Amino acid sequence: MAAKAVQDEQLHKALGKLRDKFGRNAVNLYHQLSPGHDPRQDAKAVRRKVVDNLDVVLETLAANIRARGGHVHLAETGEDAVEYCLGVAKRHEVARVVKGKSMLSEEIHLNDALEAAGIETVETDLGEYIVQLKGEAPSHIIAPAIHYTRDQVGELFAEKLGEPYTDDPPTLTAMARKALREKMLTADMGISGGNTACAETGHVTIVSNEGNIRMATTMPKVHVVLLGIEKIAATLEDHDILLRMLTRAAAGQKISTYVSYVGGPRLDEEPDGPEEFHLVLVDNGRSRILADPDFREVLHCVRCGGCLNVCPVYMSIGGHSYGSPYCGPIGAVFTPLTRGINDCHHLCQGETLCGACKQVCPVDNDLPRMLSLLRFKLADGDRRWNVKPQSRIAKLVFGAWSVVMRHRGAYNVLTTLARFGQVLLPRKNGWISRLPGPLGGWTRGRDFPPLAKESFARRWARRDTTRRDA
Amino acid sequence: MSRIIERVRQALGVRAGDGRDRLVFAKSEDFARCANTTATAEERDGWMESIRKEAKALNLRVHECPDLDVCGEAVAALARERDPEWGTLKQIMRWSDPILDGLGLEGRLAGDIAVKTVPVADSFTQTERQAFRDEVVASYIGVTTADHLLADTASLALLGGRGRARSVSLVPSIHIAVVPASRMVGSYRRLLALLDARDLPSNLTLITGPSKTADIEATLVHGAHGPREMHLFIVGS
Repeated sequence: MAAKAVQDEQLHKALGKLRDKFGRNAVNLYHQLSPGHDPRQDAKAVRRKVVDNLDVVLETLAANIRARGGHVHLAETGEDAVEYCLGVAKRHEVARVVKGKSMLSEEIHLNDALEAAGIETVETDLGEYIVQLKGEAPSHIIAPAIHYTRDQVGELFAEKLGEPYTDDPPTLTAMARKALREKMLTADMGISGGNTACAETGHVTIVSNEGNIRMATTMPKVHVVLLGIEKIAATLEDHDILLRMLTRAAAGQKISTYVSYVGGPRLDEEPDGPEEFHLVLVDNGRSRILADPDFREVLHCVRCGGCLNVCPVYMSIGGHSYGSPYCGPIGAVFTPLTRGINDCHHLCQGETLCGACKQVCPVDNDLPRMLSLLRFKLADGDRRWNVKPQSRIAKLVFGAWSVVMRHRGAYNVLTTLARFGQVLLPRKNGWISRLPGPLGGWTRGRDFPPLAKESFARRWARRDTTRRDA
Repeated sequence: MSRIIERVRQALGVRAGDGRDRLVFAKSEDFARCANTTATAEERDGWMESIRKEAKALNLRVHECPDLDVCGEAVAALARERDPEWGTLKQIMRWSDPILDGLGLEGRLAGDIAVKTVPVADSFTQTERQAFRDEVVASYIGVTTADHLLADTASLALLGGRGRARSVSLVPSIHIAVVPASRMVGSYRRLLALLDARDLPSNLTLITGPSKTADIEATLVHGAHGPREMHLFIVGS
C-alpha cells in the first residue's frame, strides 16, 4: 500500500494543498495568539490536568449530564460501545442513522455493525460522504477525502448521485447539500463524535464548519455522542485556550463556524431538539495507556490532525497506508499501543523522527520521544506491553556496530575492508543500488551512499594547518 | 460505570475522595472577575471594527441600524429580495423574543410573505412538534437574536430554551440575527466567563458566519449543510 502510494503523483498533489494551506499556517497562528509566549504550553497544562485526574473529571461529567436527563454509558471495549448503540437504535426502531464525523466510530467499526443490523447509516460530513460513497475509509483525521482531486469527486457524484459531471467544488458541494438534506431531515437517530467536553457544566463540545453536526444532533429524535474517555476538559475556562488552539491547529481558523455545547435531551418547553441524549464514553485500551507514565502523554492529543499536515512520511504515503483510522504521527504512536506493538511495528518504525509533529502539535505532544520508545521496546522486548524482541539478528548486528563505533582500531579496520569491498557492488548514479546478504533489505527501496575514497579522519590528519587562522 | 472509573484510578495510582476535585475545577481569579467588568468606550469602538473585519472574511453580512424600526424595514426588504432555495414558498420562521417582536415583520410583509413565530408552551404533543418542524423546513429565512455577540471573531452565542428553537438558525437557507449592540463582548474568555456565571441549558451554540466546507481539494465553499447566507443586524450603539 505505502509502496504504491509513494508513486502516486495525484495523491501528492492533493496532499500538497493540505500542507501549504494548513501545515505551514498553524505555527504562525500560535505566535499571533500570544506573541512571545508559547500558548501550546497552556493548552498542554489543561490537558495534563484532566488526564492526570481523569477519574474525577469523568464522574463529574457523567453526573452533570445525568442530572439533565441524559444517559451516560462507559464502554470498556469497542464491542461494548457498538452493542450499546445498537441497543438504543433497536429500542427506537431506527431505520436511518445520520452521522457527524467521528474517528472513534471508525476505531470501533460502528458503521459496519449498524449496516449489518439493517440500519441505513449515512455519513454527513462532505469528506466522509465522499469516502463512504467510494466504499473507503477516511484518509485524514479532519479532511477525510483530501486524497481525491475535484475531477475524481465529480466522476463519483455523476456515477452515484446521477448528477451531470462537473469539477467545480461549489457545484459539487451543492449536490451533496441537496442529497444529504433529505437524509438529515428524515433520520431517526444522529450519532456524532465530540471534540471535547466540559465536565463542570455537563456538556459535550462539538465543532463543525458545515453544519452537518448540528443537523445530526438537532433533527433526529435520538442523539448519541461517542467520546474517548480522555477527551474531556474540566471547566469552561479551560475551553478558552483549548478550543482556540484546536481550531487553529486543525484548520487555521480562529474559531469554527459552529461550536455546539450539548448536554442532554430537549426540555418539554423546547419545540425541537432530541428527546433522548446518550453519551458513550469509550475506553478501548486508553486506560492501559494511562497506566504507563511513559505513554500517558499521548492521551493529551486533541485529534486536530495538525501533525499529519506537516509530516513528510504522511505527505508521501497518504492516510490509507497506515491501515488505521488514526494515521500520521499520532496514529504511529496510538495505533501500536491499542492494537499491539509487534503487530503494528511498521507504524512506529516508518517515521523519520524529524520532530515536525512535535513543533506543530497544539499541546506539544512529544511524539518523536514516544516513537523512539516504541522502537526500544521492539528491539529489547517489553513485558508490560507484551512485546517480543523483533529480530535477534538485528539486535546482534546493531550491538556489534555499537562496539565497533566505540573502538577506533576496529572501526578503521572495518571501514578499510568495506572501502575495498564496495567496488564489487552494483552502482547507479554513483550510489550503491544493492547491498549483499541480509543488508539487501536496506537497498530494496533506496540507494546507499558509497564510502569516500579517503576517510574524514585521514583528511583531517593531513589538513593544511596554516589555513586555520586565515 | 464504576469498573472503568476504578480502573482509571488504578492506572493513575490515586484514590477517590482525596480532594483533587478542588484543584481540577479551580478557576483563576481573573476569569471570575472578567464576567463583572464593563468595557470602556474605547474598547467598544474597537469591537465594532473587529466585527466588520472578521465578517468580511467569513462572508457574513453586517448591517448597523440605529433602532428596531429601521432594522425591521431592512430585514423586510432583504426578505422580499431573496428567493427560496427549496420550493417556491416564501415563509419566514422567527424566534419568539421581544426584540424580534419589535421588528414588526408581520405587518411589514403582510399579504406578501408569511411570518411564523416559534410556538411558546410548557410542553408540546408529538403532532405539534411535527407541525413546527414542517414549518421550519418550509421556511427560507430563519430569524433569531443572540444572547451574546463576540467581537473578536464575530460569533453569536445562542442559548436554547422557551421560544428559541435550535432549528431556526440551522435549517432555513438564510439566517438573520438581530442583536442589540449592548450584547457585545470582547473576547472568548469573557464570553465563557459570562456563560459560566449562569445556569446553562442543554444546548448552547456559537455561530460564526454561514456554513462552509473545504473538503474538496481544501477549497473553501460557503453553503454546506447549514445556512448558505447569513446576516447580522446590530441595533443601537
